[in-house]
Amino acid sequence: MKKGLFVCFYVALFTASVYLYSYIYSDPTVEDAGHLLPVRVKEIKQADGEKVLKKIVQDANRTGSQLSIAGMQHSQGGQTYYPGSVMINMKPFNKIIHFQPEKRLITVQSGATWDDIQRHINPYGLAVKVMQSQNIFTIGGSLSVNVHGRDIRHESLIDTVESFRLLKPDGTIVLVSRNENEELFPYVIGGYGLFGIILDVTLSLTEDKLYQKETKELDYRAYTRYFQQQVKENTAVKMHLARISVAPDSFLREMYVTDYVEAENQKLLKNENTLKEDRIVALPKLFLGLSRYSGWGKDLFWDVQKQYALEENGSFESRNNVMRSETDFMNYESSTRTEILQEYFVPVAEFSAYIDDMRNLLEKEKEFNLLNITIRYVEKSDQAVLSYAKEDMFALVLLINQGKSAQEVEKSKDVIQDMIDVTLDHGGSYYLPYYSFPSEEQLEKAYPRIEAFFKKKQEVDPQKRFTNYFYEEYQQ
Amino acid sequence: MSYRQFVMSQSLILMAGSMIFPFYVLLLRNVGDSYAQFGWAYGLFTLTSALMYPVVGKAADRLGDRQLLLFYSMGMAVLLLFFPLVTSVWQVYGLQVCMGVLGAIQKNTEKAALARTANHKQAGADMGRYHFWTSIAAATAVIVTGYLVDFLTIATIFYLASLMYVMSGLIVWKKQENSSISF
Repeated sequence: MKKGLFVCFYVALFTASVYLYSYIYSDPTVEDAGHLLPVRVKEIKQADGEKVLKKIVQDANRTGSQLSIAGMQHSQGGQTYYPGSVMINMKPFNKIIHFQPEKRLITVQSGATWDDIQRHINPYGLAVKVMQSQNIFTIGGSLSVNVHGRDIRHESLIDTVESFRLLKPDGTIVLVSRNENEELFPYVIGGYGLFGIILDVTLSLTEDKLYQKETKELDYRAYTRYFQQQVKENTAVKMHLARISVAPDSFLREMYVTDYVEAENQKLLKNENTLKEDRIVALPKLFLGLSRYSGWGKDLFWDVQKQYALEENGSFESRNNVMRSETDFMNYESSTRTEILQEYFVPVAEFSAYIDDMRNLLEKEKEFNLLNITIRYVEKSDQAVLSYAKEDMFALVLLINQGKSAQEVEKSKDVIQDMIDVTLDHGGSYYLPYYSFPSEEQLEKAYPRIEAFFKKKQEVDPQKRFTNYFYEEYQQ
Repeated sequence: MSYRQFVMSQSLILMAGSMIFPFYVLLLRNVGDSYAQFGWAYGLFTLTSALMYPVVGKAADRLGDRQLLLFYSMGMAVLLLFFPLVTSVWQVYGLQVCMGVLGAIQKNTEKAALARTANHKQAGADMGRYHFWTSIAAATAVIVTGYLVDFLTIATIFYLASLMYVMSGLIVWKKQENSSISF
């Protein structure tokens, strides 16, 4: 009797617990890689096919729900969600639809990642033209922020897009290319998911090639000339990456650069064209960990990193492998702190003066924990309305460790706004997928066509069916 | 309760325990903010246990080991249902205090029961055998759970563990099996 009573009681409690638990999670909390904006969204919907996506948009039009679009969520300012909106997870929408190796074209659903594409095309000796240095991102997300990477012979991603299909806010589907519905092309690419859902994309590809790495140390004052004469002018150099020191002993002075030069003997490619997989990352993780907490850790990390890079000088790597570098060692877990990114673009000729100004600024900010700066090159591109490369630019990506509390975010904001001012003073701009530190004035100065962008958004999506933090923060 | 029932139920308890405790830290990290709070959570647990031991000891002699072990299993089964719902640190503290009380009951009663059954001449061997089986169960559980966590949510692990506590309780609750040793 007693036993029966207990079992009844337990079953009731068990059911209540599961019910409450699923209730809490039916109003799920989401956040992006910045970890600064955890919010409750109304619902997370899975992109299980084109019909499902169409229905999501139609239902939202009926119920008045707002939609936001999420891929890997590496944007850091809530570009992929908004409180109370329905967040669409695009990751399941990841098929390769059509591959034409002879024409060097591939059509993929927008939830596919660069890794998916690389695995598909590598056996055919083909490679992506423009993507980030890492391959973990979705194509739709990359398109929405119009990425660039190590490649120096193409502009940004928009340069390599043939066409895409767009599910518009009114629920209709259109093909967008440079000839068809062409007015949408420069808005949707670099459009931060505000013009509808990119369904599938046709990208042009290039040959996978064997590159030889040439790495050397440089003083920052010699970089511009080095780049213009030895990299830009040398057509054999296809990709380029540099680092500038953030270690106290050599702060914003020492650099090392790596050029990826097309190897003379391309027959050797067959020895190098196996796609590399994630390796054990304990060692770089340890050094990065040390550099988070101390100046000597930063000095040590810089020395080790530089040494390692210089030892790699002369080694070979396939284009596909250059475009799948490791990210795992950067994973950082802390409940009170987070690691954020900033990216600043500065005209090539301005580099040395710009770095001097940045050093003057940052040497005063003792508490600002800057962990790493990588430098890439991006060719002038005005195809996208929100283009960041108003001329040939160096792109500096900054990794910053900061606290999550409101005061600490405020402190970072002060420093970051100052850095953006310096950048703008040198004719530069900044990248938009990050946290909303920049002021509206800074946005307007960096992106003179922002008004046209928001106007087009209102025209295409008058009901504001698609929204996100970026739009809500900055729309005029 | 026979010796066999006792070992089986204790094995299940240890299995459930080792399933949740390593992953319990994951939950704490989602909720807690600092190592100080970890310290408090575990400190409160141990402190409550300490204060409970004298009381539990006397209760074991008066009520019998079986009653207390039953209370422990069912208590843990119920308590674990609250874990997935935790959203703040003070709730964790509350649960830790309850776990401290129950933990004291289990530890003390387990030892008392073993002492009562052990043949004094080969007490060492008996204990060894007992710990062998219960630890094997625990090791299996912790390894398997490591894989399970990849597929299930942490909440599911708590629910599974809760069900295992119920099972261990029901084993003790069952009518005594034929056995020469009784508790």
